[in-house]
Amino acid sequence: MAKITDLQESELSTEKPVAARILSPGKLYALVAAGLLLGLLAGWAVIRVSQGRPLFGPGEFHGLVIQSPPPLSNFALTATNGEKISLLDFRGKLVVLYFGYTYCPDVCPATMVELKHMMEALGRDARDVQVIMVSVDPDRDTPEKLGEYVTQFNPSFIGMTGNENDLLGITTELGIFYQKHDGTPATGYLIDHTATVSVLDEDGRLRLVFPFGTTGEDMAADLRRLLP
Amino acid sequence: MSTSGDLASSASAGNGRKRFRLTFPVILFSVLGVLGLGLFAFVTIRPIQVLPRISLGPGYFLTDANGEAVTNEDFRGSLVLYNFTYLSCEEPCPVTTDTMQAVQSRLGEVDTGGIPIKLVTISFDPARDTPEVIRAAAAELGADPAVWTFLTGAPERLKWLIGGGFSVYYEEKQPQEFRFDPAFMLVDGAGVLRAEYRTAVPDVDRILRDMRLVTDEVHNRQGVANYAYDAAHLFLCYPR
Repeated sequence: MAKITDLQESELSTEKPVAARILSPGKLYALVAAGLLLGLLAGWAVIRVSQGRPLFGPGEFHGLVIQSPPPLSNFALTATNGEKISLLDFRGKLVVLYFGYTYCPDVCPATMVELKHMMEALGRDARDVQVIMVSVDPDRDTPEKLGEYVTQFNPSFIGMTGNENDLLGITTELGIFYQKHDGTPATGYLIDHTATVSVLDEDGRLRLVFPFGTTGEDMAADLRRLLP
Repeated sequence: MSTSGDLASSASAGNGRKRFRLTFPVILFSVLGVLGLGLFAFVTIRPIQVLPRISLGPGYFLTDANGEAVTNEDFRGSLVLYNFTYLSCEEPCPVTTDTMQAVQSRLGEVDTGGIPIKLVTISFDPARDTPEVIRAAAAELGADPAVWTFLTGAPERLKWLIGGGFSVYYEEKQPQEFRFDPAFMLVDGAGVLRAEYRTAVPDVDRILRDMRLVTDEVHNRQGVANYAYDAAHLFLCYPR
């Protein structure tokens, strides 16, 4: 406000020579331009810091960032309570998808433990995150068994599964493969599958892919940056 | 031009010094102007060109000519050019393996700096393209087994992969006769789709140039160049 009146006064000129001498039009424009620039810089800094990113530098994500995330097809699978639940039900939350199976001897429990650590590291932000384990072994993983399995890691975790056709569609789109193969008589058949963790944003777009072995803390740090 | 003329004339007039003092606004606007011009030049001249990161490439589990399992993860770290066809495809069926053959013979022209380039032909006709048929066809095409892989698998998996994952249409119109949209896909070492060539006869030069752009980006992304590459992606500095 003060600047505008100054401007008017200086433009009206001669009657107020003092004001005109202190702030000539040229200086005034420079001041306004500098103010605008500073404001832009400050706004940029505030946005960066509020996103939890460092002021300078891109601030690396730990996972693979999907740059122009296309909308992921909606899918409906049978949840652990026996109901059909679709991806649309989780709009507004970050969805962390992991594909595995309960008979999985090594990779799956290791990843589930990291996801459990991730939820702990997220603290209060964890309520905006939904972890879903999708079983690629619908023959053996009944909803009850799957529910029992996932909730032992974290009570908020959900398990889902579906028929071969549903599973193929979802996994292909997420860059994931799975295939049954023979195991030992003790383990029964095993399933080879990609052990990545996929993160969908509030609008159901694929945003991040964590390779196997990413720690819970690193995943939590990345998720925080995706949260509003 | 005219400013220097003005400067000379006004200087000779004796009052020029005042008009061309380096005042704060002059410095500010020159800096802004140089930055703006620099950005404009960066976006129009495109000293750094990149290929768009279109989407995450699909996952698959298929078998090769020896009946061995091959998945998308086996190509992590390699740049892969895919095409989709069936091996009994003959005129007037759009023959796309010729282009793959041409790319294979010219791979030596691309300096990838150690990043392997792979060619993958996926057959959507598993009933007839058995391992023996595939091996015979590969030999006829002169396919180098270290570079060029032929894959096929169960029909529903192929449909999800080619139709769903790569969005390429194909359909068995009559027995042993498929109708399909010829297409080539370039997927980078992180499994991200970088280029699509939806034509029967793409320009091989262009494919090789695109391979070079992707491998150059991998090698050059260090220090300050990282920001330049991020800017190139942000301002859509794609090759024309």
